[in-house]
Amino acid sequence: MSADLNRKKVTKNAFRITKRRNHTALRVRVPGGHITAEQIAMIADIARRFGDGNMHITTRQGFEIPNIPFEKMAEVNAALNPLIEELQVANGVSFAASNSGYPAAGMRNISACIGNRVCPFANTDTTAFAQKLEGQLFPHDFHVKIAVTGCPNDCIKAHMQDFGIIAICEPQYDYDACIGCEACEKVCKRKVTGALSMKNGKVIRDARRCIGCGECVLACPTGAWTRNPQKFYRLLIMGRTGKRNPRIAMPFLNWVTEEVVIQVIRNTIPYIDRYILRCLPKEHIGYIVDRTGYDVYRREVLENVKLNPEAKIARTMQWPGYDTLNDANMRSADYWKG
Amino acid sequence: MIDNPYRPFAAEIIELRRETSAEFTMKVKAGADFCPGQFFQVSLPKIGEAPISVSSFGPDFIEFTIRAVGTLTNALHEYRVGDRIFIRGPYGHGFPVDKFRDRDLLIVAGGSGLAPVRPLIQKSLAGELGIRSLKLIIGFKNSEGILFSQQIEEWAKKSDLTLTIDKAEPGWSGKTGLVTEHIKKFPKDNLKNLEAVVVGPTMMMKFSTAELVLLGLKEEQIWVSFERLMSCGIGKCGHCKIDYTYVCVDGPVLNYPHASRLID
Amino acid sequence: MNSYSLTRSNFKDIFDRLSAEYRLFGPKRLAGRGRFSDTDLITCDFLADIDELEFEEKSFMSPKSVVFPADETTFVFNEEEFKEPLMRDQREIIVFLRPCDINGFARLDKIFLENGDRVDPYYQRRRQKIHFFMIECSSSFENCFCVAMQSNHTDNYAVALRFDKESIEIQIRNDHFNRFFESFGTKSAFTPEFVKEDAVKVELPDNDEMPAEIFNHQMWSEYDQRCIACGRCNTSCVTCTCFSTVDIFYPDSRTCGERRRVWDGCHLDGFTEMAGGHSFRKNKGDRMRFKTLHKIYDFRKRFGFDMCVGCGRCDDVCPEYISFSSCINKLGSTLKGEKA
Repeated sequence: MSADLNRKKVTKNAFRITKRRNHTALRVRVPGGHITAEQIAMIADIARRFGDGNMHITTRQGFEIPNIPFEKMAEVNAALNPLIEELQVANGVSFAASNSGYPAAGMRNISACIGNRVCPFANTDTTAFAQKLEGQLFPHDFHVKIAVTGCPNDCIKAHMQDFGIIAICEPQYDYDACIGCEACEKVCKRKVTGALSMKNGKVIRDARRCIGCGECVLACPTGAWTRNPQKFYRLLIMGRTGKRNPRIAMPFLNWVTEEVVIQVIRNTIPYIDRYILRCLPKEHIGYIVDRTGYDVYRREVLENVKLNPEAKIARTMQWPGYDTLNDANMRSADYWKG
Repeated sequence: MIDNPYRPFAAEIIELRRETSAEFTMKVKAGADFCPGQFFQVSLPKIGEAPISVSSFGPDFIEFTIRAVGTLTNALHEYRVGDRIFIRGPYGHGFPVDKFRDRDLLIVAGGSGLAPVRPLIQKSLAGELGIRSLKLIIGFKNSEGILFSQQIEEWAKKSDLTLTIDKAEPGWSGKTGLVTEHIKKFPKDNLKNLEAVVVGPTMMMKFSTAELVLLGLKEEQIWVSFERLMSCGIGKCGHCKIDYTYVCVDGPVLNYPHASRLID
Repeated sequence: MNSYSLTRSNFKDIFDRLSAEYRLFGPKRLAGRGRFSDTDLITCDFLADIDELEFEEKSFMSPKSVVFPADETTFVFNEEEFKEPLMRDQREIIVFLRPCDINGFARLDKIFLENGDRVDPYYQRRRQKIHFFMIECSSSFENCFCVAMQSNHTDNYAVALRFDKESIEIQIRNDHFNRFFESFGTKSAFTPEFVKEDAVKVELPDNDEMPAEIFNHQMWSEYDQRCIACGRCNTSCVTCTCFSTVDIFYPDSRTCGERRRVWDGCHLDGFTEMAGGHSFRKNKGDRMRFKTLHKIYDFRKRFGFDMCVGCGRCDDVCPEYISFSSCINKLGSTLKGEKA
């Protein structure tokens, strides 16, 4: 006989309906995609004991353990407890691990590139930022995707998220230490936006062209370019994949601090609550912003946010994307024979 | 700073002569008594400074023959009589004129290499250096590139002068072939009393000196003059150093046994 | 020669008293300003406060900039004349540095004060104000090979300092500085120690004449591909003295500008480029050969001692992991006819 389940409750508990009747798959959160060897062994142990020994690495850097019988959910949740302690509670989430598994699954795992613990290009410790965001935002039920990337190379694909956070660096120039070798100017011209130009044997930075990648700092042989120790971020919003209107996220805030980023995402939760269409099973945040308009979104999420003086806010917002409905452009094979 | 070797002084341009399509001679008013083969640091405020060899000098003038190929030399090209340029020098060791006294002197010059040896030729022909005889082999790529053509005609009257261009061309009735071919024809008798000077492009100097050695000249009898990038002219900036030699202070004129062992 | 044992707070007081009369210069940690994010840059610069002095770690840049700044105005000009800029701060300068760097100054002196029989007045006017406060190296850092270069030791200092956990030991060689210390601390018998052995072993070729084959040897060609000509080995080197002259103009003036000299380096593009575009050392391997032989061979031929002091900064800073000490050893093997 089939299990008698409260499907909505189960889903919220991070167990999903799968193809195989009476069997579920558990989504394990790994904030920032960073995990210790011991923790991964704990996940492996759950897969071995309750699943069929298989594990899937998700696109969001979590794990999915398939083929767990629904009847094992309580045992799985108990086994999950130490992991939740280490990956959620330790990062400051506002619930106690109580052998009942994940309290919510709406906000997806917060992913992050490897960041400056390893990568020379990274402008911040993305792992730490993702873990901090987990503590600040989890748990809640709204479907929100967040990723943190260490530099504008965007290895984690922040451009495909509801909130894509790009760590940027404000290069600061020591005029006297510059020997005019042009290494920074060349790298910026070749790899980036050409924000630097030479004048009188020195470098001029066009702040409006500078995307804060930090390549000039990496290239400078004398330490004339150094990083402003104050860290800054660019916040991209409302990118998405999906069946109706895939599009990339666009810059909403630039040169803002970590605090501003966190506050804006936190303020988005009540905004969703106010405007979400409850007649739908779930409405993605991007579609809500489409309905209310960018102006309403901007006003409401920036309310009571203390912006740092360097902060810049997008005046308007247009997302490059396409309507999946539109197949007027498509032609069958005989068209091309003509 | 009372004694600042970097401080240039102003010199008024008193004459400009076009030599070829790319080269011109600038004569400036400046008291000068130095050794043929030395050079000056020439500068224009806002443009920069570069070493330029002296192509002639007298008690109250210095001439620079300049090829307009860089920022500074192109800018100099725009200057007119009455304008002032800035110079400092003379720098380096010129030709060892004391060693040339009572000797036969062969000067092999290629292209713009004729400019730095011109004072040596002029002073030799004026009898100022006590040289026994002067022979000249002067080569240019083509007739268009010939520098100081009028003077060469005058020098030919007073010395054994070979003027050659690399390849035959219409309207040219003079000699042709690389300078090395003319060195080959040089009489081998009495080489003991000969001193040879070779100045020109790097490759021309390399093959000409080799030819002179083949001819039977001892390396010690050959003198060359080097041209390198320099920022200071006084042994500080490091640009012209080759091995332990600073071209600016140890050269630009170097004895061949020394020069031949220098690898950039 | 007097020695004293000081507490940290003694030393702070002395530092402040010295600051009143001298400009203080030394290794300085710039938090969060390293090449990579969340790393620090340890540079050498003027110090406003004792807390700015980094006495534990090796600096990324050398102290040469105190006498040979990266960019120095040599003249202010208009169309009529060239004028030297004044040195605004006329105070004498105390430089905190390590033995290898003190020996490095002797190399700078050779070029700027002696070579070509001319004194460089810009260098001299700074150099004559310098007093060395030597930070003791009891053991060497990762890439140091000072012992091989015989620059691990020096007596050329006004004051030597040892920074212990609790106390600071000092020895005064220049009695002129006694007055700053005698009212603080207690007399001691401190004498500084010097590094006796480095982890990096370098065997110096002692050839008086470098065989011509070495100049064209294929051992250099590996650097054609490895070196990226960033110039860090030159800019971080305490003994690299090369510079280029540049004229700059004041944008709003028709007539006025400055002549400056700016650090250049044999690994950087354009270093040997003549007007018209010909370069004498286009290949990076040739540049590596040129630098190596200058540092450990031809400088000695001219001045009697090697230029390199084995501070190892070039190895610390090379983004391509080119090791200069390994290169010297490879040269040695090549000279001995071994396969490098």
